[in-house]
Amino acid sequence: MSTDSPEAVRPRTGPRPGAPPLPASTEPAPTPPTASASAATPPARPAAPKVPTVLDFYPMETAATTRVAAFFDNLRAGRFTTTRCRKDGTLLWPPRVSCPECHGDDLDWVDLPPNGHVYAFSAVLLGAPLGMESEVPFVVGLVDLDGAPLRLFGRIDGGRWETLRIGDAVHVVPVPLDDGRIFYRFVRDLAGSATGATPPA
Amino acid sequence: MTALRRVALVGGATTKFGVRAATWSELVQEAGTALFRAVPELSAKDVDSLFVGAAEPERFAFQSHVAPLAAELLGIQPRRVLQRTELACASGQSAIRSAYAAIASGLSDIAIAVGVEKMNIPSMAEANTSMACVMDRPWDGAHGATAPPFFAMVAQRHMLEYGTTEEQLAAVSEKNHRFANANPDAQFAEKTFSKEKLLRLPWVSPPLRLGDCSSMTDGAAAVLLVAEEFARRYTDTPAWIRGTGQYSNFHNLAQAGSLTDWVGLKIAAAEAFRSAGIGADSLDFAELHDCFSISEIVEYEALGFCPPGAGGAFVADGQADIGGKVVVNPRGGLLGCGHPLGATGIAQAVEVHCQFTHAVPAARQVPDPNWALVHNLSGSANVHSLMVYQRGGPP
Ligand SMILES: [Zn+2]
Repeated sequence: MSTDSPEAVRPRTGPRPGAPPLPASTEPAPTPPTASASAATPPARPAAPKVPTVLDFYPMETAATTRVAAFFDNLRAGRFTTTRCRKDGTLLWPPRVSCPECHGDDLDWVDLPPNGHVYAFSAVLLGAPLGMESEVPFVVGLVDLDGAPLRLFGRIDGGRWETLRIGDAVHVVPVPLDDGRIFYRFVRDLAGSATGATPPA
Repeated sequence: MTALRRVALVGGATTKFGVRAATWSELVQEAGTALFRAVPELSAKDVDSLFVGAAEPERFAFQSHVAPLAAELLGIQPRRVLQRTELACASGQSAIRSAYAAIASGLSDIAIAVGVEKMNIPSMAEANTSMACVMDRPWDGAHGATAPPFFAMVAQRHMLEYGTTEEQLAAVSEKNHRFANANPDAQFAEKTFSKEKLLRLPWVSPPLRLGDCSSMTDGAAAVLLVAEEFARRYTDTPAWIRGTGQYSNFHNLAQAGSLTDWVGLKIAAAEAFRSAGIGADSLDFAELHDCFSISEIVEYEALGFCPPGAGGAFVADGQADIGGKVVVNPRGGLLGCGHPLGATGIAQAVEVHCQFTHAVPAARQVPDPNWALVHNLSGSANVHSLMVYQRGGPP
C-alpha cells in the first residue's frame, strides 16, 4: 500500500479525516435472540456496546472522564486549542488543569496555530505497536507551530518518509476515531508533491 | 553529607541474556542462583533488604506486587526495606541507587538489588505497545511514539547539525558487538557484525538500522551491596560507590528542547563527578546507555569525553575502545548484550565488579581499572541516572 494514497492518512479502524463528526454512538440497537433459535444453533448474543478502553492509546475524552474534554469538543468544531495560565501566561501542552509554573489553577482555553514546520522526523518501518501495524510505514515528527512557542510531536501524514524534509510545512487535521472519539494529526501542506528518495538529513 | 556510611558493591551475577525459554519468575530464580554461587559467603538470612528493578511486569508478565514475589523466589525475608523500583530503562540502576541510599543512611546493612525483564512474548506488537506507553501515552504514544523514532530524530538532528554519518553510528555498534563476542551472557555473544554488515541491515526508523537499536531481551541480574563494615566478609576487592547523580527535566516530547544537547545528562554528570571528587578524565571505563548507537555518541559529548559534535569521530577513531581515551561498554553494551529494561542497570554494575576483579575474558578486560561510571537514560532521554565506582584493594 502506498502511503501517498488517501487511505494512508486514516487510522486503522476510523473514518477518513474530514468526515463529518460522528454522533456519540453509531452502534445499532442490540438484536434480541430470535424465538426460532434451535438447540443446535446458539442464540445470538446482544452486540456489546463499543466503548473506549483504558488500555488503548487514545485519551479518555468525555466530560465524565476528563477535565480537558473541551480540547476534544473544540477539535470536533475545527479548533486546535490548549490551556494557558491566566496569571503568568504560560502556554501549557498538553492541556492541563493546573499550572506547573505558579501552581495555580486559573487557566483558560486558547487557540493554537494550526500550521507549523517540521523540526525533525523519522518513520516507523519495524516495531509498530498494536493497532498501528497496518499503517507501517508511517511518519512521525516534531513540528514547530508557527507563531507559538510549542514544538509538538505527532503523526505526519500525506506522503512517504523519503520525500519529507526538515522545514516542510504541515498543518493540523482532526481525525475521528471509529468509537466516537477524535484525535489530531499533522498533514503536509503539499502532500505528495516532493520527489526523490533521500534518507532524512 | 559526611554522616553517610560508605557502601560497597561486593559481588554480582547475571543470567544469560536473549530470547529465553523462561518466565519472569524463572529469570529471577536464575539470577538468584547465579548470585549465591558467585558470592559463596552470602547467606540469605543476613540479607535485610531487597530492591527489585522491574519496568513493566504488569504488561510483559501480567504481574504486579513483584517485590515480595522476588523475595520468596530468592529465599529472603526482608526485615528492613522491600521495594520495587520502576524507571523504565533505568529501573535496574534505580534499585541500586535505592539500596545505596538505604545502606548509606543506616536503614539497611546488607541488601540485594535484583533486576529483571521478560520482554519476548508471543505477540511482538503487544510488546511494542508496552514500549510505547513509556512515552506520554495519550498525547505522544497515540501518534506512534516509541523509542526508535525518537532516537532516530536525535540522529537526524545530529547529522544535520554536526555532519555525523551512518558509518560513525555503525562504529558504535561494531565496537559494542565486538565486546559482546567476549561476553558469553550477551544476547549476541555468537554473532559478529562488521561495519559493512551493519550498514546493510534494514532500517527500523531511518537513519537507524536494526544494528543501531538494542533488542527486546529477556534477562535478570543481581548484585550484593553492603555497608563498609561488612565488605571484607564477601570480597577483597569491593567496588565503592563514590558518587551518584540524577536529573529529569521533561516528559512530554513538547518539552524536549534540543535533541542533540542533553542538558539533563550534563547536570546529572556534574553532580555524580562532584560527589565522587573526580572528573571525567579520571575514568578508566564507562558503562553508557547505548540503547541506540546515537545515544552513546551524544553521551560522549555530554559527559565531556569529547567536544560537542565530535562524538562520531571519537568512536570512529577508536577513542572509546581499549587503548583509547576511555573504554566505553566493555561488557558489550545494550547493543551487544540486549536490553532487558529492569536488568540492564544491574548487569552494568556486575560488569564494574568483574572488571575491578579482573574476572572477564582478556578481549574485554580494561587494563588496571580503578574508576568506572555507569549511566542509564530512560524514556526519551528525559531522565539520566549515574553512579561512580572506585576499585578498593585488600585491607
Ligand atoms: Zn501559572
